[in-house]
Amino acid sequence: MNDQVLIDKINEGLKDKVVAITNPAPRRLFLQVTADNLLPVVGWLKHELGITHLSTISGLDLGQSFELLYHFANNCCALTLRTEIPREQPVLTSICEIIPGAILYERELQDMFGITVQNIPDGRPLLLPDDWPAGNYPLRKDWKYERPPEVIPGGKS
Amino acid sequence: MSFQIPIGPQHPALKEPVGVRVTVDGEIIREADLRLGYNHRGVEKLAEQKTWTQNIYLMERICGICSHSHATCYVQGVEKLMEIEPPKRGLYIRILVSELERVHSHLLWLGVAGHEAGFDSFFMYVWRDREIVMDILETISGNRVHYAINAIGGVRRDLDELQIKHILDSLEVLRQRSAYYEKLGTTEPSFVARLAGVGYLSREDAIELCAVGPTLRASGVPMDVRKDDPYAVYDEVPFEVCTADSCDVLGRTVVRIKELLQSYNIIEFLLKNLPAGPISVRAPRRAKPNEVVSRYEAPRGENIHYIKSNGSDKPERLKVRAPTLANYAATIKMLKNGFIADVPLIFAAIDPCICCAERSVAIVDARTAQERIVTMSSLRELSLKTAKHQARKREAEWPL
Repeated sequence: MNDQVLIDKINEGLKDKVVAITNPAPRRLFLQVTADNLLPVVGWLKHELGITHLSTISGLDLGQSFELLYHFANNCCALTLRTEIPREQPVLTSICEIIPGAILYERELQDMFGITVQNIPDGRPLLLPDDWPAGNYPLRKDWKYERPPEVIPGGKS
Repeated sequence: MSFQIPIGPQHPALKEPVGVRVTVDGEIIREADLRLGYNHRGVEKLAEQKTWTQNIYLMERICGICSHSHATCYVQGVEKLMEIEPPKRGLYIRILVSELERVHSHLLWLGVAGHEAGFDSFFMYVWRDREIVMDILETISGNRVHYAINAIGGVRRDLDELQIKHILDSLEVLRQRSAYYEKLGTTEPSFVARLAGVGYLSREDAIELCAVGPTLRASGVPMDVRKDDPYAVYDEVPFEVCTADSCDVLGRTVVRIKELLQSYNIIEFLLKNLPAGPISVRAPRRAKPNEVVSRYEAPRGENIHYIKSNGSDKPERLKVRAPTLANYAATIKMLKNGFIADVPLIFAAIDPCICCAERSVAIVDARTAQERIVTMSSLRELSLKTAKHQARKREAEWPL
């Protein structure tokens, strides 16, 4: 199965769900889908093409919106699903019912971007410390780290 | 009566400090739960503030054992973004170092597996021979751990005839020793009996939970980025993807030993076919706005970097996913319905990096909330004691 065969199959099976397909390099496919179509597309990829390996989910802060990239792979191609959600309402549906291995990546998204993942089987914080202040999402572009003033215990100030 | 046992966040069998809380029913683990982030260093955020060149050295410091993996994965992505093609000789040297790294990482793991299984002489033999690889790496790059051999557009150091001869000679020793370990590690009855059937991960579960690397291949899935998505010069190099069907720690051992032997062949091929010419090309300072998905087969499995550039000399976004993270979900599955005494072995089997510190594990009695602290060494002693009087497991299969 090479890239062109895959593109043809996707065009045939998902023509109303996929907004755009690009193939910028050999063995690299980028599929643009809307957030509502994410679940059916992931399900279709799994059941029709047998693409079950999710490498990771990358989040991106575009300013007005968040872009999510679901990096899938099989034995001939690395396929990336791209979707966008608005910044004001960062809500996403979990794909864990189709790909159970996605759980850690979705929890990471919640921590780092403040995206709410609906239907996630286990939505506890994953990476950030227990005493992390609420509403701080480190990978958003407008988040800046400020070192807290150093206090010497028993010192002058 | 069920107990909850928190293991970690500090734990000798883990690369990154990680908290695992296991609920045990007698000796059997019923539930396992992970808590990550104790070693979160904010590398992805930091990378957005560093230039392309500075980031090579940042990426190299993500991990100590597979430092070359992250640097190479990053560098080959950036080369695509900058639209430059490194010379053949540079790529050969880059892949040579990555295979040497695989050898030293797998030898390290093999020793640890021997140690956790109570076969300490095996551990000492293997680690003695690992020094040979470390010496080779030192002759090539000048460093034992952070080789700093990658540059955007090639590598930083060339090989001369004397070095090539030294590597080929050392390789002969390593081959002989590894053949012996293959025999020992897969046919020594007490060692095999300890490993077989431990940490079972079925083929279906391994695929479902998106496991990677030797963990996945030991469950019978022939997935290897070097074969599936040949980067650099892997399309020219003959090698086989090693798998095992036993789905347990023994299978993971077999896969790694087989991969060692494959790596020796690759190293020999690379050295004998090393093309002449320059080792690097000049790289621009900026990259046009674009994005790239870079994949790399690290010793522990698939390593993936997503890099997005915005036209400046710094990345817009750099997403790093290390192979150990991908294997955590599978580890939880392996721990469930296993024995508490197998915890060190199962953890070690996904090959998180071992720091040799002795740390403590607290056992909390669920009913009285009393805590008793056991050191990892006594947990290990318990593991050895349990294994000692165990009858040979019936599914113990000889894979070779």
